[in-house]
Amino acid sequence: MTGRFTVHGQATVPTLFRHVVAQRGDAIAMREKDLGIWRAVTWRQYGERARRAGLGLVALGLRPRDVVAIIADNCPEWLYTDLGTLSVGGVTNGIYTTDAPRQVEYIVNDSGTRFFFAGNEEQLDKILEVRARCPSLVKIVIYDTDGLHGFKDEQVMTFEELLDLGARYDAEHPDAWERMVEIAQPEDLAILVYTSGTTGPPKGAMLSHRNILFQLGFATFVAEPRPGDQQLSFLPLSHIAERSFTVFYPLRTGATVNFAESIDTVPDNLREVAPAVFFAVPRIWEKFYSAAALRMREATQLGSLAYRWALGVGMRMAEGRIAGRRPTPGLRLLYRVADFAVLDNLKRSMGLHRVRGAATGAAPIAPDLIKWYMALGIDLREVYGQTENCGLATAMPPDRIKLGTVGLARPDTDVRLSPHGEILLKGPHVFLGYYKNAERTAQTIVDGWLHTGDVGRMDGDGFVTITDRMKDIIITAGGKNITPSEIENQLKFSPFISDAVVIGDQRKFLSCLIMIDHETVAQFAQERNVPFTNFASLCRAREVQDLIWGEIERVNRQFARVETIKKFRLIEQLLTAEDEELTPTMKLKRTFVNRKYKDVIDSMYVEAS
Amino acid sequence: MGDALLTVSNLETYYGPIMAIRGVSFEVPRGRIVTILGANGAGKTTVLKTVSGVMDPQKGTVTFDGREIQGMDPDRVARLGLSHVPEGREIFPLLTVAENLGMGAYMRADADGVARDLEMVYGYFPVLRSRARQRAGQLSGGEQQMLAISRALMARPKMMLLDEPSLGLAPKLVNEIFEIIVRINREQHVTVLLVEQNANLALHMADYGYVLEVGRIVMEDTCARLRDKDDIKEFYLGMKEESVRGTRRWKRKKTWR
Repeated sequence: MTGRFTVHGQATVPTLFRHVVAQRGDAIAMREKDLGIWRAVTWRQYGERARRAGLGLVALGLRPRDVVAIIADNCPEWLYTDLGTLSVGGVTNGIYTTDAPRQVEYIVNDSGTRFFFAGNEEQLDKILEVRARCPSLVKIVIYDTDGLHGFKDEQVMTFEELLDLGARYDAEHPDAWERMVEIAQPEDLAILVYTSGTTGPPKGAMLSHRNILFQLGFATFVAEPRPGDQQLSFLPLSHIAERSFTVFYPLRTGATVNFAESIDTVPDNLREVAPAVFFAVPRIWEKFYSAAALRMREATQLGSLAYRWALGVGMRMAEGRIAGRRPTPGLRLLYRVADFAVLDNLKRSMGLHRVRGAATGAAPIAPDLIKWYMALGIDLREVYGQTENCGLATAMPPDRIKLGTVGLARPDTDVRLSPHGEILLKGPHVFLGYYKNAERTAQTIVDGWLHTGDVGRMDGDGFVTITDRMKDIIITAGGKNITPSEIENQLKFSPFISDAVVIGDQRKFLSCLIMIDHETVAQFAQERNVPFTNFASLCRAREVQDLIWGEIERVNRQFARVETIKKFRLIEQLLTAEDEELTPTMKLKRTFVNRKYKDVIDSMYVEAS
Repeated sequence: MGDALLTVSNLETYYGPIMAIRGVSFEVPRGRIVTILGANGAGKTTVLKTVSGVMDPQKGTVTFDGREIQGMDPDRVARLGLSHVPEGREIFPLLTVAENLGMGAYMRADADGVARDLEMVYGYFPVLRSRARQRAGQLSGGEQQMLAISRALMARPKMMLLDEPSLGLAPKLVNEIFEIIVRINREQHVTVLLVEQNANLALHMADYGYVLEVGRIVMEDTCARLRDKDDIKEFYLGMKEESVRGTRRWKRKKTWR
């Protein structure tokens, strides 16, 4: 039923959507929490609302290939808009809700957006502020009208009004929908995904229906779908990974998508939903681990003893699995006891006890962290990819695990290294190019090979290791090449360190800037009676500085002498996703940090000389 | 900040299993006015109660005038020169105004001094002199607040803890009382720790401020600088930048910087 470029016998997203809506009818497609109650949406309703949204846009004048932008937190309306637009031949483009008005302006103009969907009042204000400079803009549609009572504007309408418009259009043109669903061809542009662009303005990556369908063919690699599977949606839908996972993946599997109320409630929502498949970025996996580690430190002596014993058993299981050994019956029995007595409870407390498939990607992760989850019995698999290849390029195979690598090339695609060690990809997952930017496209796709900008290695079995972004490689004043992310990943494994940036390009030695984990460090300070008031004073406390230095020294021991960190500074501001220092996935942007904290960085090198 | 009269370090206080104060540290320099701002339920009152000994902390130290006083009974804390003016005044309604003031001086043996201080108090709040024989319960809210402050002053404290003196009072009266608090601070050299929801007033009156949110201090600075912070402006002073539509209902995320 699923061919190389087809899913359930369908070759484009619209026809696939039509097909599964007809098949699944009253099965639950998604749930959203409204005033404390999870409200369900069936596939039939999903199909109906997407149809009205799409036809509403047509009634407003949408033509095939017109771009529709969505800036909203994850919610059902996002999906109605997305699939409605695609089904009438339009192109959707998700914008990060954390983007500032001038970034929104850039993306709207670069993509020639004609229809703009804003999640709420806050997002609406962004487009209203810049719309005078957005000539292509026809209409703004708003999902949540709270706080907009009495607001009237020619160019703005509510989502409800759009649906009504669509229903009327549907009644007047009964066969329009069926005709439009067939408009899109597999090679056509389906979605635009703007890459966050740590250097220069963001670029719109063009992904085709075929890119998406091809990747869906592999979507079940983490776990075979079962009826009733749940998943939780909380990462930004403007990111290709979450977009694939929340919007496209269920078209293939039929899993129910549950929308988290907000990023802050993810731990609670996770316990309520208990998903079967779970995708998260390393930062989330790190946070869960830190929280568990912290709880164990506060546990009774018996509790922490039991935890250490059970984890030890789990680790032996995990190590055996990694080495490809079958566990002895004795160990298996021991693990059953450990799981029953300790590990299962731990998983329940995180809401991960029903997870059959778990994946991490979009940023590097420490191998020890994966091992910790494996010890708990959660099969956390690392994937690697980027927007330009529709999300997934390599994945860890279930039966041959090599930690520290990102696994093997996705079947039916090729990976190879350029002479400079750059990772190159070829296959049906490679994108169409950058929107209206032939020059950058030509630099990125050469002879069919996608140049990822990542450097790495490949072993004899084809396992790929990513060492760093090509432009991030540090060449010290002594001429030594250093890949900072290897060191940074080790640092981030510390529960006290949230993120780190290693510095040393053209410098005599390595240093780093560290963002501490507020919760764990505050608790550490509190336990040791270290007085502090706000975040900056916490960072400045002698004991905290010593604590972080201790963590750095632990990491230093794992690296050669030239690769050790000699000095560090803490970032004394508590950063949020709105800050330019962070990507929407909460990674520190190296180039930006290097620029913004130039004085702090220089101070580390001044003292030394 | 120089010579600290009161130093609070890593204070943790619980109501049963609920941690109300989650590790709070701050100091109040001698002779100054320091304010703690915070929303309802932030833990402001709990901080004051823990300092004055009404509640005992689970953890942390309170150092007053060089002595550790955490966990000490409130009457002993009061004897050391720390007077607490609780939220809602808590005067003795059935006693007269004069008797209430006498209660404030209960621990003192120097009759001459007490008489002088009574004159001082009447000097600050003349209305209390004219009501001296009335039952305190018959006073207006503003007069009761004056009485509560006066009663605390009668103990000749080195420091006063004021818990929301503006609560439920008319704006005119609030200004009057705050002016007198500043005068008392300057003229009688009484150090003041003020907890207030009326942030505008508190930030104009105090020298230094702390912002408490859910049991933790998230910001500290001189009041002049605090008044300039975006978060303080939006969340405590109610000043918003207008949006293009002229109104704005959504709130920015607090960043505390």
